[in-house]
Amino acid sequence: MDVEDQLRELVPQVLGALVRRYGRFDTAEDAVQEALLAAAQQWPGAGVPENPRGWLITVASRRLTDLLRREQARQQREDRVASWAPQGDPVGDTDDTLVLLFLCCHPSLSPASQIALTLRAVGGLTTAEIARAFLVPEATMTRRITRAKTSVKESGARFTLPADREERLGAVLQVVYLIFNEGYASTTGPRLQRVELAAEGIRLARMLYRLLPDDAEVAGLLALLLLTDARRPARTGPLGELVPMAEQDRSRWIPELIREGVDLITATLPHGPVGPYQLQAAIAAVHDESPSADKTDWPQIVALYEVLLQLTDNPMVALNHVVAVAMARGPAEGLQLLSTIETDDHLAKDHRLSAVRAHLLEMSGDKPAARAAYEEAAARTTSLPQQRYLHARANNL
Amino acid sequence: MKYMILTYASQQDYDGMAGKATGKPAWEAADFAAMGDFMEKFNSELAASGELVETRGLAAPVLTRRLGSKDGQPVVTDGPYAETQEVLAGYWIVECESFDRATEIASRLADTPAPESARATAYADIRPIVEGREELVE
Repeated sequence: MDVEDQLRELVPQVLGALVRRYGRFDTAEDAVQEALLAAAQQWPGAGVPENPRGWLITVASRRLTDLLRREQARQQREDRVASWAPQGDPVGDTDDTLVLLFLCCHPSLSPASQIALTLRAVGGLTTAEIARAFLVPEATMTRRITRAKTSVKESGARFTLPADREERLGAVLQVVYLIFNEGYASTTGPRLQRVELAAEGIRLARMLYRLLPDDAEVAGLLALLLLTDARRPARTGPLGELVPMAEQDRSRWIPELIREGVDLITATLPHGPVGPYQLQAAIAAVHDESPSADKTDWPQIVALYEVLLQLTDNPMVALNHVVAVAMARGPAEGLQLLSTIETDDHLAKDHRLSAVRAHLLEMSGDKPAARAAYEEAAARTTSLPQQRYLHARANNL
Repeated sequence: MKYMILTYASQQDYDGMAGKATGKPAWEAADFAAMGDFMEKFNSELAASGELVETRGLAAPVLTRRLGSKDGQPVVTDGPYAETQEVLAGYWIVECESFDRATEIASRLADTPAPESARATAYADIRPIVEGREELVE
């Protein structure tokens, strides 16, 4: 493990220890960032200290005391020195990562702020790295993170597992999923950094699974990310163009990730309760284990989408269900089903709806209508790589 | 000092990049990939030198909405541009020591790989940014 990986592992533990001991999430977080910077500068040359966690806690505590003292001088409240004496347990070996995750995914924050704060406080990314990954100026990201920390502080959040844990876990899973997706689905921007974001999503999901091994949805999310990431090498061609799953070179999928994901979801599903992440992982597992698009067990995928549809009203799930039905029972039935969801407000102007219609029309042999639908889909997306893919499909007919 | 570098393109240029031939030939996959690689490198070098403040590409002119007013009421027009009319396509805001340095940065855009038909009409503007009201009253 190199120094950077090691630091990343330690971030939530060090920050957790500090917040548990001194309270003051916002200031503690600044202090930890400075301790990390010191470690990143000193360790590669001087060597990693014997107890890296202890070293970081000591340096960050010292920095925190400085910061609090300065803050206090500013506010002229010298008489309150006692208030930042240690509050809770002495720094022990408790892993506070889970508490930190819940704190970062505080309901008073917008998803964008939850993501930024999680990446910084739990992921150990610097503000500059997060800004780069989301293609916003660093100053903007600094403001977002500062605001997020202030909101957490003002909400009076205590450093314990929240009472509404079940509800909050949903937000935590969503944030991890969004972090992964930002790295996986993005077709613009500096590619390498986006890949790192997908890797960070998987790392956080693994961490969460280690902390909550009995939660079926946590296991489902990790399995889903692994099974999705397994296809990454085949998703783009040599020139960076998009390659749809049906045409991907499956020998380039990553077998270790598929095996791990399949084992995980196979072990999890029977113990339930079944939730959306487990179902999506199960669907991904069916795809990943198929030798080709034609040989995919489409009836099983249809069945899984039908259960998923009962749990969520997400129009994209409905659209994917249509695709699966068409693959299982033919394009005519797919087109008929498509007509029942075309009026959905969220879908009506989405390029994905037109793209699905185009594919189904192409499957049914109606070339002129398919071409028109591809062109319509191309006109509805602003992504040039997607437009290029859709125009190419239209031109090939 | 901050400067804005502006680049321009027509709907035809956008169509070409999207792989559709209308008036100008469609870009091949290799053309498009080469441009993407160039921009990625250009932007990351500017970020690394600390001179990049912000950069964005704009969606195709056909997606433009123009807001005007008639008889005191706001009026929205869709895609008001002709196919061949060049409009703003993207911009960079750079913070650097001089107008000459900003020009030097912008001149590297001339190396952007692109099909000849697109290169022939390409140009960029560089304009100093006004930071505050006091600069205007002077």
